[in-house]
Amino acid sequence: MSADKLTDYHLLMRFILTYISLIFLSGCYQSESTLTNSLIYCADKAPSSFNPQISHDIATLDATTHQLYNRLVKIDPISQRFVADIATHWKVNENKTRYTFFLREDVNFHDTSFFSPTRKLNADDVIFSFKRMLSTQHPYHSVNSDSDNYLYNHPFSNLVSDVVKIDDHTIRFLLNKPDATLLANLAAHYSVIHSQQYATQLLQAGHPEQIDFKPIGTGPYQFKANSSKNIIRYQSHKSPWQLPANIENLIFDITKNSTKRYAKLLSGECDIITNPASSQVKHISKNSEVSLSSQPTGNIALVAFNTKKSPFDSAINRHALSNSIHLDTILEAVFFDTALATNTLLAEHSWAYNPRITKISYSPAHSLQELTDNKFNFSQSLRIIAPVKSSIFNPNFYKTAELIQSNWLDIGVRSEIVLLRPSELDIALQSGNYDVYLTGSSPYIKDPDNLFRPLLSCNASALEGNSSYWCDTKMQSILDDTLLEISFIQRVKNYYQLQALLQAQRVYLPIAHLLRFDVFNDNITGIKIDPLTGINFHFTKKNEPIDMREEQ
Amino acid sequence: MFNYLLRRIYLLCITAFVLTLIAFTIEHLTVHTHFRENTFTHYLNYISAILQGDFGYSIIDKKPILATGLIAFSSTLELCLFAFIIACIVGVPLGIFAGLYRNNGLDYTIMSLALIGLALPVFWVAIIFSVLPNAFGWAMPIDGNISPIYEIPVVSGFLLIDTLLVTQQYQFDAFLNHMIHLILPSSVLAIFLMSEIIRLTRHAITMVMRSNYIKAAHTKGLTRRQIVFRHVLKNALPPIIHQLRLQLSTIISFAMVIEIVFSYQGAGIWLFDSIQQGDYLVLSTAILIISGFILFSSIIIDLLLVFISPTKRKSLYADQ
Repeated sequence: MSADKLTDYHLLMRFILTYISLIFLSGCYQSESTLTNSLIYCADKAPSSFNPQISHDIATLDATTHQLYNRLVKIDPISQRFVADIATHWKVNENKTRYTFFLREDVNFHDTSFFSPTRKLNADDVIFSFKRMLSTQHPYHSVNSDSDNYLYNHPFSNLVSDVVKIDDHTIRFLLNKPDATLLANLAAHYSVIHSQQYATQLLQAGHPEQIDFKPIGTGPYQFKANSSKNIIRYQSHKSPWQLPANIENLIFDITKNSTKRYAKLLSGECDIITNPASSQVKHISKNSEVSLSSQPTGNIALVAFNTKKSPFDSAINRHALSNSIHLDTILEAVFFDTALATNTLLAEHSWAYNPRITKISYSPAHSLQELTDNKFNFSQSLRIIAPVKSSIFNPNFYKTAELIQSNWLDIGVRSEIVLLRPSELDIALQSGNYDVYLTGSSPYIKDPDNLFRPLLSCNASALEGNSSYWCDTKMQSILDDTLLEISFIQRVKNYYQLQALLQAQRVYLPIAHLLRFDVFNDNITGIKIDPLTGINFHFTKKNEPIDMREEQ
Repeated sequence: MFNYLLRRIYLLCITAFVLTLIAFTIEHLTVHTHFRENTFTHYLNYISAILQGDFGYSIIDKKPILATGLIAFSSTLELCLFAFIIACIVGVPLGIFAGLYRNNGLDYTIMSLALIGLALPVFWVAIIFSVLPNAFGWAMPIDGNISPIYEIPVVSGFLLIDTLLVTQQYQFDAFLNHMIHLILPSSVLAIFLMSEIIRLTRHAITMVMRSNYIKAAHTKGLTRRQIVFRHVLKNALPPIIHQLRLQLSTIISFAMVIEIVFSYQGAGIWLFDSIQQGDYLVLSTAILIISGFILFSSIIIDLLLVFISPTKRKSLYADQ
């Protein structure tokens, strides 16, 4: 080799070495996870608004309920009892029709760049917040809300006749009739308290719609900005009335792709991610660097049988066809074990769950026999409808429908699958032109009435939840009686009876109770996740990563 | 010189006119609402609005489209620039080695790598690059331009500059964070660019090495390194720049695809999101911004070539 070539090779080698050393420089990079006063939560969806009174999707609840607002009462996560939040205590009259709440006097609203409160929270704010939902004459009643869907979205409308101010720090709820669910409703996400002073200021400025998009509340974090680049910024409440938040800057980074969310968690770009891909949950649970939290939710995936039409107008057919569906396969193939198998609509952790009801057993041979005995018309084709897009109830409606279709074909029952867009789905539900509908239910509050009434009440339409077109006088009277019932034991008994009746009639086939998954880095502590009202970062703490602490 | 510039500006005006026609057609077909106006009046109104800088407002965030578009496009330019620097640092030396050792083992290795780089689909490489760092245990950011922890006010639109303006608040952390965020997307873009640069450099070096003045330099007793640095590089550069100019629009398109994979907030994501949400006015504005940039930059590159290469200077007087 000539001397020239030799020096060239040396030059090339020097070159390669420089590049390799440059790559190692990336090791000097410290990810965002090292900054302990900022927390990045990577959510899958942007909130529809910043007011849980008008938006009930879980993305909105995560971004608002516990971060921005407070309620009169809340549920203690350990004892599951109602405890005071903005109210110090409350009294109930003998008839159980008047609930008087006494408010704290030291509650500050957020002081932001767009609003500076001049007074503390008082009865006017509470009355404003509830009257907005209750009174059609209220100036904010129709602001940002969909009037068609109004009653469905506001459970208070049928429950409370009026909210009156007794004095500056005392208010009274007057009920139409005794109702055991009032406290549960007041602890629900839609009972948050807004600032009346801010609302008046917006009304004067001619922009009342901003109340739900530039929110003012009393919660541990105050709203800072919502950029079009899918970043929502909060900062800790400047003059908090409760214990201040540990985190100074709370950031919601909306990352729609579940795989990317997980990759961002691993690279330190996110501290907490929600809703990882069902198919990745097993892999994530094996990763020792992150913690996986799973919480049972009230959300249930179910199959609704149209009881107004043949063949599902017969309970025998409903039983036979539901017993021929292999639920374990659906759970494994569609939910990847991210949901709990179930026999009932009510989740096992509910106080009204009846453990003695009959289980659903997979028995295709028996089903075929029953159908033949019941003179089932095997030449007909059943119409299965389902939404095109996946939802919180079901990660893959089409796959679920295909599995059901194949199970039924095994016993000679033919069916067709029709996937519909939301507007088409509404038309189909109203017309009742289907045999089977793959859907789900997500109750707002822990009271069982909130689950059963939309699904079973004669007054509920298919759009409101009763997609089986079910109406049974006995079940209706149990539902109504239980709502008025004051004795807790009697309420439990009534719901036991209702579940037994429901199981006998098999109006719906429950597929699975869904779990909520959140994954976070090991240096994060104190996250509270309520499947019904959303995630709570009030007491969340971010420590320095373990490897950095070791270095020090 | 003046005539040359004038010729270029004529050409620019004609191209710009055609571009406004395309942009106008899109606007007219998608978001046009004044049905009483005839098309010609509408076009005149459109042109006068554009000349006044009024490109309309986005239906998504109600902000002026031009301002949002320019900020997004400056991020894309940053990405291209960063990728170009990486590609030059790696590509030029490799191209030189390949050219000097033509038809040698080293040449075959380098050229094979360059061809692989050209053959790989850019979106696929981007996806692989977003997974790789984790596989090796490197904590490299794979999403966005900068961590949301840093709140950077828009001053110049170029994050590399804007992050340096907030050093009082964040020291150099925000700047470094942005640089780190640039590494992966620009490396992907650099792979394509690098392949191009290696091929062009190799070809140019081979051509120059065959010329008589290099042989003369050899006979004069100059060392190989002296010949390369003194004579070869200087003469090989103009054809490379000229060829790269033609690749400018491809580079920008690739950058926009890469942005979507890495959620890098540039023109690609801006266009993608706007189209998804039905904000079609953005389309016509984006055409004008991007093609306007390509037109202007090609003129500037032409002028640059004229300055650095005496052989090109004849184009000033040539009848073209």
